[in-house]
Amino acid sequence: MGKTTYKRLKGSQNLRHRLLLATLSSSPILIEDIRADDTLPGLRQHEVSLLRLFDKVSDDCVVEINETGTKLKYRPGIVMGGRHLVHDCGVSRSIGYFLEPLILLGLFANKPLTIRLKGITNDSNDPLVDTFRSTTLPLLKRFGVPSEGLDLKIESRGSPPHGGGEVVLTIPVVQSLNAVTWTDVGMVKRIRGVTFSTRVSSQFENTMIHAARGIFNRFIPDVHIFTDHKAGTQAGSSPGYGISLVAETNAGCFISADMAIAYAREEETGDIEDEKKELMPPEDVGGQIASILLGEIEQGGVVDSTHQGLLFLLCALCPQDVSKIRSAKLSPYGIEMLRHIRDFLGVKFVIKPDPSTGTVILKCIGCGLKNLNRKVS
Amino acid sequence: MALDSTGIDQSHKAHRTRQAGPKKKAKSDKKKKKNISENDRKQNPKAFAFSSSVKAKRLQSRSVEKEQRRLHVPLIDRSYGEPAPFVVVVHGPPQVGKSLLIKSLVKHYTKHNMSEVRGPITIVSGKQRRLQFVECPNDINGMIDAAKFADLALLLIDGSYGFEMETFEFLNILQVHGFPKVMGVLTHLDKFKDAKKLKKTKQRLKHRFWTEIYDGAKLFYLSGLIHGKYAKREIHNLARFISVMKFHPLSWRASHPYILVDRLEDVTPPEQVRMNKKCDRNITLYGYLRGCNMKKGTKVHIAGVGDYSLAGITGLADPCPLPSAAKKKGLRDKEKLFYAPMSGLGDLLYDKDAVYININDHFVQFSNVDDENGVTHKAGKDRDVGEVLVKSLQNTKYSVDEKLEKSFINLFGRKPNMLLEAQNDGKDDHETVEQARKIEPSERDNSGDEIEADESDEESDDGELDGMESSDQDEAIQKDAMIKSKGGVSEEETVDTFEQQSPLKDHLQEHVEYHGGRLRRKALFGKGTDHEDLKDSEEENENSDDGVDNQTPSGSDFSEEDGADNEIDDDMGNISKWKESLMERTVSRQNTNLMQLVYGKATSTPTTTLNEAQDSSDDEESDGDDFFKPKGEGKKNLGEGFDDGNVNAEDCSKFTNLENLKNWKDEELIQSIRDRFVTGDWQKAKSRNKVPGSNSEEEDDDDAVYGDFEDLEAENNRHQTNDIGNGAIQKENDSAAEERRLKKLALRAKFDAQFDGSESPDEEVDKKDRAKFHHGQANESSYFDKLKEEIEIRKQMNISELNDLDEPTRIEIEGFRTGTYLRLEVHDVPFEMVEYFDPCHPILVGGVGLGEENVGYMQARLKRHRWHKKLLKNRDPIIVSIGWRRYQTIPVYATEDQNGRHRMLKYTHEHMHCLATFWGPLAPPNTGVVAVQNVSNNQAAFRITATAVVLEFNHAARIVKKIKMVGYPCKIFKKTALIKDMFTSDLEVARFEGAAVRTVNG
Repeated sequence: MGKTTYKRLKGSQNLRHRLLLATLSSSPILIEDIRADDTLPGLRQHEVSLLRLFDKVSDDCVVEINETGTKLKYRPGIVMGGRHLVHDCGVSRSIGYFLEPLILLGLFANKPLTIRLKGITNDSNDPLVDTFRSTTLPLLKRFGVPSEGLDLKIESRGSPPHGGGEVVLTIPVVQSLNAVTWTDVGMVKRIRGVTFSTRVSSQFENTMIHAARGIFNRFIPDVHIFTDHKAGTQAGSSPGYGISLVAETNAGCFISADMAIAYAREEETGDIEDEKKELMPPEDVGGQIASILLGEIEQGGVVDSTHQGLLFLLCALCPQDVSKIRSAKLSPYGIEMLRHIRDFLGVKFVIKPDPSTGTVILKCIGCGLKNLNRKVS
Repeated sequence: MALDSTGIDQSHKAHRTRQAGPKKKAKSDKKKKKNISENDRKQNPKAFAFSSSVKAKRLQSRSVEKEQRRLHVPLIDRSYGEPAPFVVVVHGPPQVGKSLLIKSLVKHYTKHNMSEVRGPITIVSGKQRRLQFVECPNDINGMIDAAKFADLALLLIDGSYGFEMETFEFLNILQVHGFPKVMGVLTHLDKFKDAKKLKKTKQRLKHRFWTEIYDGAKLFYLSGLIHGKYAKREIHNLARFISVMKFHPLSWRASHPYILVDRLEDVTPPEQVRMNKKCDRNITLYGYLRGCNMKKGTKVHIAGVGDYSLAGITGLADPCPLPSAAKKKGLRDKEKLFYAPMSGLGDLLYDKDAVYININDHFVQFSNVDDENGVTHKAGKDRDVGEVLVKSLQNTKYSVDEKLEKSFINLFGRKPNMLLEAQNDGKDDHETVEQARKIEPSERDNSGDEIEADESDEESDDGELDGMESSDQDEAIQKDAMIKSKGGVSEEETVDTFEQQSPLKDHLQEHVEYHGGRLRRKALFGKGTDHEDLKDSEEENENSDDGVDNQTPSGSDFSEEDGADNEIDDDMGNISKWKESLMERTVSRQNTNLMQLVYGKATSTPTTTLNEAQDSSDDEESDGDDFFKPKGEGKKNLGEGFDDGNVNAEDCSKFTNLENLKNWKDEELIQSIRDRFVTGDWQKAKSRNKVPGSNSEEEDDDDAVYGDFEDLEAENNRHQTNDIGNGAIQKENDSAAEERRLKKLALRAKFDAQFDGSESPDEEVDKKDRAKFHHGQANESSYFDKLKEEIEIRKQMNISELNDLDEPTRIEIEGFRTGTYLRLEVHDVPFEMVEYFDPCHPILVGGVGLGEENVGYMQARLKRHRWHKKLLKNRDPIIVSIGWRRYQTIPVYATEDQNGRHRMLKYTHEHMHCLATFWGPLAPPNTGVVAVQNVSNNQAAFRITATAVVLEFNHAARIVKKIKMVGYPCKIFKKTALIKDMFTSDLEVARFEGAAVRTVNG
């Protein structure tokens, strides 16, 4: 009893999956060789920040990192949740990076979670916070998460490299999820979206919208893209603009695509700022994002490629019923998630291709996770 | 109860009322009163039901309440397929007649007499039902374990003595761990000579029993013994009651797999035991899986022993199967099986790789072997050669030598060292057997004396014994030969031939010595292919003793491999099924490929349960180096270059490659996805969404009829053509949808019928009444029905989805189904488990859920049991039983004050709940806890000290303690005083800085 056996893992890949699944299945993990051969070895800033976030929302979790940061020992505690939590996500990754594991942690916490996250709200690497609002939260509702207390409020926006955005995430507590049978994609009945701009002209947004509509008009007339121009303190400390689109089908699927444009961080580009990289003009952004969205729709899954991993994980966390979902071509992230689910939760999916539509049907029996942390009255 | 109808015809002697005396007065008074009250009522009470609205309202609310109390939140029953035998635990104080009751019931069901009751006894009690009888031991540990696996508890009560503490203790334990069905049985009623006293006692005990359980709980009366058995009629009635009993799922058990072990074998290498008698043992446990499905890699808790990861898990053929579903009334005698390996009963013992046939002494016919030539062929060197020749002549086709010799090899295949020793000693083969017996650990030490006796017995008449043995073997061989010659591969036999290649033949000796006069031996069948090899090795064996050493292991290896090969696709040992699954697999090869891509070849191909088990053990034990292997392979398989073994890949969920963006202004492209929008063609879109549904349905059909390859391909082709012919799809889809709808309707109807039929008639009457009275209630009941319906649909959906899969994938996905007879291999259990194994003390193996193997602090709401004499003291160790576990821990008691702070208590409250915080393996909130202080049997008083329920896990429980400190004022100001001598160290001072202080006077 006294000795804990750690699950040994290697490398920094999928740190979020690993930490999240380790916490949910309460199995301690030991990750070695984290960028051991890199010029900058060890954990990155955002990863450390993620660990701090996990530590913040849970109780009695033990994190040990060796001197070089190449080895990480994580023993999960009890996810407590709670209100009035504040976390600074730093500027190396956007808030989307932190939100993805956090929403699941919050569902299985002791108390409902309300947390204020500070940092970059819109980044091209991670889904935008707008996408979270429009797509991810409805996805959770599909699994029986109550809509009361499920909210993401964008207080101010921040673009890279300096960030300065703030969002408030509220997540209710559930006892367990519901299994889903979700193979009907339906037909796209409307396209919604929101554009944002910080510290640039609001005209950028109109241009993006115009370009995107130009493409969508060939398909569907019901396209509404809202603008969200932030100014002053709400605009963060760097210029940037972007767009997040979501296509809603008549079967209740939300398929999203997003894009954010901003100046790159200095350490990434490496070279001195003698020539700042030219940003993509807003017309191109609008056109591209529309194409991306249409590409996602063409793929024919019930969720877009970004949300595949989350969808699989939610299915695996269901009670011991069969979940059946249709997904588009498996994304690498989704595949990694499937493997990690197998390793941590012991849930395997039956994956059958559906050649007539080029989609994949996945079936699984959930692991029957119950919220052990919740207090009974 | 048909009094009214028969009252007319029956002429009883009229009752003569008292004409004088006090009785008359009393009676007449009563009668007068009754008359008055009757006169008050109306002539037709039904017509004028409520004269007062208040009363009406009251009646209404009462019936509503009654109705609501009847309802339970419907639970989904996730056990599909044949249910495991229901466990009937027979509990009672010593000398109350527990064993006798079990014996009588077994006799009633199977017509077999049992000499003694040891361990679980499985019987087939009906066409759809099996029962497992377990006698509950009387120590508190045994009672706790028994309460956790009982589906029905028969509480035996000595009627002549009254209730005893054990009964109440057991009831309390039952209540905490989810209340299964309970039935009381009064015995020893023949001690009463006075009929009136008997009646009174029955009444009294019944009412006491009712207060403990619920009003109307069934209490059985067994009036007395006839020829040392309970009366047949009464046992029959009891059996009827048991057979109509319905069991509802209990929440803890429905979410955790568990096994009541009905057989335990020690499979430690004997050499290791010989070297160190107290070495950790490897054991195999057998039993029916209950509760929920068990996945590979689940950790288990063996009650009283500890947590173990399973080294192997195998589904075995059911040793006590339900009769085939032929339409007939009642059970045939042949189908009245029973299985009790711990009691030494039951005819067949199945192992992963062997089948043991147990033949009763008097069933063995010594037609061809007499006492004087009762010699094994092995021992033929020493005995008369002629007899051996005669014997060999009796076996027509296959020569016995080879068979028997082969059996010998297999026997000692696993322990060459011992064999070598034996051979070095220059003894004959028979003696090696003897020695093997001696070396064999006498793990059933309770029968140790018997073993000694048996051994001496056997030595004295071993010739006879061996004679029987050989004859049996001969028979078996003959049988086999016949099968071979027939060429008809009937299922069971092929299983045998495949499975009997056992590397673990040492069971044979164990069984022989264990059951004394009863023989349990392995059935040996030969396989044509490896026959020659074995023969060769045999010859060598005879030639040189050293050769044995080299050859035997290889031989056994060979057979082992063979067995494994045979088992690869066929875990249940069903050859026809195996073929089918192969066929299906070839069909669905394309499908599995994708799974292989994702999960890697290494883990998706081993469909054999054997290999899988090893895999899982590997995963758990050596998680270090080969952890990444499957993944790595998977990546190789993937070979698409997006993550070629980059363990430090960037962690990003977004995956958009801007390179291959299409130009969506292109008209062709637009047309290609036009139907994905509501502005497009709806029919096409519908077909797109529905195709896989109908697809799977068709596959389903194919599965059902086991259609062959060509068929499915044709199906596929048709699908491809469907893309062209639009109308055809539509038609097909419509038909598919219609079919599905019908299916659902049928299901619902079936379910409704079941639901109605299950209810007893009086309940139905109740329902009618309800419908009459409360139209307003329709809403609620419909909600209830809706819940039930949802659950049923969910269940049917699960079943239909799972039926699509082939057997190995299904086991992979959902784990072993409940009701499977499982063999669990557990390594490194302490030797005490084997050494002090007591078949009368049932072993419970429970699966450990996610996060339940962790340890931490738990907060529980605890109440001292009202019958426990003393209050519980803070930090006084108690033994708690939570979930599957029992452990000792130190609780800290606290109470919640008005202001929400938790104040520590020195002693628990007298009659109130308090909070207890203790450390231990975590159990999910809402789990019941029962606490005892002492497990010893010599306590007269009530042994259960407290009951509790887990509220939450808490790593930082804040419990405050009020302390008094004494100091002396050294300087006093107006509102301030300086106190000295209050603390002794700086640390203390630092700790109390800022603490609220209150003097005694306020």
